[in-house]
Amino acid sequence: MINRFQIAYRNLLRKKARTLLTLVGIMLSSWVLVSLLGFNRGYEHALNRDIDNMGYQLMVMAKGCPYEAATMMLQGGTGLRYIEQSMVDDIVSRPEVDKVTPILMQAFFDPDKGDGCGIAGYFGVEAATFPAMKPFFRFRQGGWFRDETAAEAVMGFEAAELEQREVGDMILVPEKNVQLKVVGILERTGTQDDGTIFVPLKTLQKISATDKITTIGIKVKKDADSAKLETALYKLPDVQVVSFTQVKQTIMKLVATARVMVLSIAIIALLIAMVGVVNTILMSVLERLQEIGILKTMGAMPRDIFILVWTETLILCSSGGIAGIGMAFVFARLSDILVRRILPYAPGGELVAIDMKLAFLTLAVIVVVGLLSGIYPAWKAGRVRPLESIRSEG
Amino acid sequence: MRNKICFFASLLLILVMAAPALAAVGCDLNDPDRDVARFFPESSGYKTTYVSIDKRGDETMLRRMEKRLGDRFHGIYETIDVPYTIYEIQSGKRKIGYIHGVNQKGQFGGIQVFVALDLSGRIKSFYIQKMTSQWAKKLRDPKFGRQFAGLSLKDFEAYDPATGKGSGRMAEIRNPAPEAEEDFRAALRALKKNLILMDEFVYAAEKGKP
Repeated sequence: MINRFQIAYRNLLRKKARTLLTLVGIMLSSWVLVSLLGFNRGYEHALNRDIDNMGYQLMVMAKGCPYEAATMMLQGGTGLRYIEQSMVDDIVSRPEVDKVTPILMQAFFDPDKGDGCGIAGYFGVEAATFPAMKPFFRFRQGGWFRDETAAEAVMGFEAAELEQREVGDMILVPEKNVQLKVVGILERTGTQDDGTIFVPLKTLQKISATDKITTIGIKVKKDADSAKLETALYKLPDVQVVSFTQVKQTIMKLVATARVMVLSIAIIALLIAMVGVVNTILMSVLERLQEIGILKTMGAMPRDIFILVWTETLILCSSGGIAGIGMAFVFARLSDILVRRILPYAPGGELVAIDMKLAFLTLAVIVVVGLLSGIYPAWKAGRVRPLESIRSEG
Repeated sequence: MRNKICFFASLLLILVMAAPALAAVGCDLNDPDRDVARFFPESSGYKTTYVSIDKRGDETMLRRMEKRLGDRFHGIYETIDVPYTIYEIQSGKRKIGYIHGVNQKGQFGGIQVFVALDLSGRIKSFYIQKMTSQWAKKLRDPKFGRQFAGLSLKDFEAYDPATGKGSGRMAEIRNPAPEAEEDFRAALRALKKNLILMDEFVYAAEKGKP
């Protein structure tokens, strides 16, 4: 006994070229749709990850204290103001806070750095808490300090390049004449960290004869209200808060705008494919009017004809959809490379992220939209009057 | 307004973060206008050119220079692509000399050794621009630099950077800071390397001209 699917399948095979072209159209649309949705998701994830990797989103420091190494250098290492290290415990206990790290910035006068003398900047950081704030740090050589009081240093890429240091070499803290052993050299990050020399916090406190710090770096929990935290931190005595949260929010707004554009393109691609489906099925119905009329005289109800034509739409859309999604999976990496060529400053990681969930979602969209497109041709086929259609010229 | 500045600065930061890694570090005068006038008071201007071993030659050139130096170009900072800045000094339309600097690994940090040369390759002045050492003051003293005035690459051929021993006029060079023997030898090695680079990049090329 031949079933409805087999009839629909054979009907589609009657005009192989037309069916194939429609299938290719649906396949290309599905490919574009799933790739754009994958890109939309992958890009957002990658950007989010890159922004999170920028390190802490908030910095707390004494009022009027320069918070960038460059500013500190311009000021000749002066203007540093200190906060009590106990403030770290105060901040870490807040519910919005994920991680905190205390930092001591120090600048030492180096009389033999050029004719105009120079300033050597040092960052005292905790090996236990600071690396988690900078997950994008990669070591070119060595690693972090052995312990929090070691006479050791980790150098940024450019600092090491300028001082021609390698792991195992010594550096000298000017003014204080304290020797430190280089235990790690970082890869280039493109940030001010490249020119920084990191020293264990306690070691730098000892060298500088202070038990205070200059800065507290704060990483906020993913879904926490950072604005609320910022307001709370401003209530702490004599501190200023520097926030990167707004930057993140603005970037995410830009991404949301781009997402609307991407989805618009995807919808247009889908609509073009569906117009092709309507055209193919409608042509197929119009060419088979006599045959449909005969089926009706044999007892087929309008519902049966409707379902038969709809089944053809279903076969076309699901086959084209599956083929397109398969293509998207196969060429995902190629799409990634092409996107990177077009967007050289794209964030790191996978840009076109397609998984089974997205594949099924896309297939469902294609099939549902396809079936909606097939309603008119199927309805038209169901309404065919048997006698009129048999009398008409084939 | 501040937020906008902050935003664009951060975007710039992201763009910079994504930029490809640059080549090895070069050695430039901190204040070329002032320094050129100091080394060549009669100068009226200068022209800056950037050269590197990989642009002027190949691995063979690097090996030849190492052989002339008597030491390997070691470390991760003496690579074939290190850019060297040559200042060609002019008095009117006439070329009167060169200034060239190299980076050298010292005991506690990088040393930047500059040399001012006349057109025959003879040293006019020697200058350590940067050095991190307790005894840097002694090695950066002009009195130390004056010992090299009049010397040329020919004199340095008698100096072995690996052993720190030399003969002829090189044997007469005195270390003003015996405590900083490592940095003293580093400065001499840098000076010999500097002269070899200048010979390969400039003087040999000029001799070859018709």
